[in-house]
Amino acid sequence: MSIMAYNGAAIVAMKGKECVAIASDRRFGIQAQTVGMDFQKIFEMGPHLYIGLPGLATDVQTVAQRLKFRLNLYELKENRQIRPKTLMSVVANLLYERRFGPYFVEPVIAGLDNKTAEPYIAALDLIGCPMATDDFVVSGTCTEQLYGMCESLWQPDMDADALFECISQSLMNAVDRDAVSGWGAVVTLIEKDKVTTRTLKARMD
Amino acid sequence: MALADVCKLNLGNKSYAFPNPADIDGGFSSLRTELNTSEQFAVPYNFDPVQSFAPFADGAGNDVKIQFNHGTTTLAFKFKDGVIVAVDSRATAGSWIASQTVKKVIEINPYLLGTMAGGAADCSYWERVLAKQCRIYELRNKERISVAAASKLLANIVYNYKGMGLSMGTMICGWDKKGPGLYYVDSDGTRLTNDMFSVGSGSTYAYGVLDSGVRYNMTPKEAYDVAQRAIYHATHRDAYSGGVVNLYHMKETGWVKVSQIDVLDLHYRYAQEKK
Amino acid sequence: MSLQMEQHEYGTPMQRYWSPYAMNGGTGLAVSGADFAIVASDSRLSEGFSIHSRDAPKTYQLTDTTVLSCAGFHGDILALTKYLEARLQMYEHEHNKKMSTSAIAAMLSTILYYKRFFPYYVYNIIGGIDDEGKGCIYSFDPVGSYERETYRAGGSAGSILQPLLDNQIGFKNQQGVVKTPLTLQKAVQLVKDVFISAAERDIYTGDSLVIRIITKDGVKTETFPLRRD
Repeated sequence: MSIMAYNGAAIVAMKGKECVAIASDRRFGIQAQTVGMDFQKIFEMGPHLYIGLPGLATDVQTVAQRLKFRLNLYELKENRQIRPKTLMSVVANLLYERRFGPYFVEPVIAGLDNKTAEPYIAALDLIGCPMATDDFVVSGTCTEQLYGMCESLWQPDMDADALFECISQSLMNAVDRDAVSGWGAVVTLIEKDKVTTRTLKARMD
Repeated sequence: MALADVCKLNLGNKSYAFPNPADIDGGFSSLRTELNTSEQFAVPYNFDPVQSFAPFADGAGNDVKIQFNHGTTTLAFKFKDGVIVAVDSRATAGSWIASQTVKKVIEINPYLLGTMAGGAADCSYWERVLAKQCRIYELRNKERISVAAASKLLANIVYNYKGMGLSMGTMICGWDKKGPGLYYVDSDGTRLTNDMFSVGSGSTYAYGVLDSGVRYNMTPKEAYDVAQRAIYHATHRDAYSGGVVNLYHMKETGWVKVSQIDVLDLHYRYAQEKK
Repeated sequence: MSLQMEQHEYGTPMQRYWSPYAMNGGTGLAVSGADFAIVASDSRLSEGFSIHSRDAPKTYQLTDTTVLSCAGFHGDILALTKYLEARLQMYEHEHNKKMSTSAIAAMLSTILYYKRFFPYYVYNIIGGIDDEGKGCIYSFDPVGSYERETYRAGGSAGSILQPLLDNQIGFKNQQGVVKTPLTLQKAVQLVKDVFISAAERDIYTGDSLVIRIITKDGVKTETFPLRRD
């Protein structure tokens, strides 16, 4: 079994009209055994900026903490909030530093630009190769299922409500076909003037 | 053949597992048998199925990855009113959930049930063979086969294939002259009888619930509830179990299917109870 | 299929290995309704990063009301379908009638299991009309474990398509929705939509889509272009 699938995870981020959303499952498992159902995989990196970290749970927490550390340094030095694109570079840099002994995480970034409120989403591989798209990005143990859902449900210029429904359905139906992710889901919807986080009623098997 | 031994029939000294090279004349008779009523397995000679298949099972070094459907929680236990059988319904191929609607209780005949754990095809095929043999036994002997004999028939059949990669963990449940019967049979050739079994990747979780909940003098209603809870808790913790709980009750008059309920509904019902 | 050769020193033993299997990709999909069944597949035949054919649909008509979809190793598909045709013809001569869809499914299961120790590398889905006139789907694993279902996607993009079918046809994760029965028109549209999605993300799926619509009156075939890159 791949080390990326040791704990199990599913994360997806989507663009809408003047909004973005990021969603993850909540399982922490050790291979077949489900240990926790409230595991945090999405981390706040700013008022309109979030990062999702699927992969090996120990590295998820290490990367989240080291990233927060670098982010704090950035904010102290620059005296301003980080932009999504800059965060992506920080993450890429952090991961590439471990090129030959990588952290086993494949991050997903979702946010609105501080000044322009332009939606931004990106995904990186485990050694920090970034990929920014203008529709959706997926990562985790059920990427095929997520791609299938997103490719069919996503459409351009969805409003916040439509985006929430789209990302929720995409995630839930994808994890229901993956044995090692699921056990609850959490969706964070990022709009210019508010950020809402909701947990979804999901299958618990 | 196992049944032939039981009935003391002399059918010649034929290996049940593989065709004898001497039987193959390279001509039409073997082809005809193959086309009509093949009970023989197509395998090249000097062929080790386990070793030859290994590179394709894990997909190492090529695109080919042959994965069979697997994964399960099944349980059965005896109590004063018979045998309770409960199973989940998930089939997985690796971490992919191939199906959430598998029937893992195999209805062999009105007085015999078999459960499915391990390779789905192995279980359903050999329990179908068992159903045929049990019917033949009935016709020959004018009485139903005992649970002990039926389970031994299955154990003997799969023992012929030992070391060849079959994967099967089954419970044969029934009611005969001696009352309720419950046997565990697996593809290693193990055959055991006891008052309670649980088989599959989620069995440890199910045992935890069963050990604290099952009493011999339970009412059927209590028995249904504990069986359902055991499967639910297994599906909750085990990634390779899930779907619905299928519940059967083996009575003196034969089996009845008690219920089929989605574990999603059970989860939120039990969560409500805790409040 | 590939021949693997290792660099060797003079005189050392050398092992050659030949794989009896290859993966030729392809996706099959079947959906059933009250009085119809649809079996669809793409028409790409590929191996690794090369495309062998853009016009090799993986649907096989077995009887007037039964269609089979196969994905996996093309060599095994050819052997299996040829053998199936022989068995179907023998059944027809012996019983003076066509084999029912459920009987074909049961027979296919045993045919697959007889090669348990050297399996056909084929993922099969059968679509047809059952004895009551309703649409029916049977799906198989490579060694003959089978189940009747109402919808199923299999092959290389099976995992891309299946969750969407769960959602749109099985109404999974939809609360308080009226579960309207699937119409033929909606089913055909859905099949096209999901194959367009699959062709976007799966390199083994594309070129064109063949849709076989099975009703009591027989089988109608529709084709639909998919992306060819």
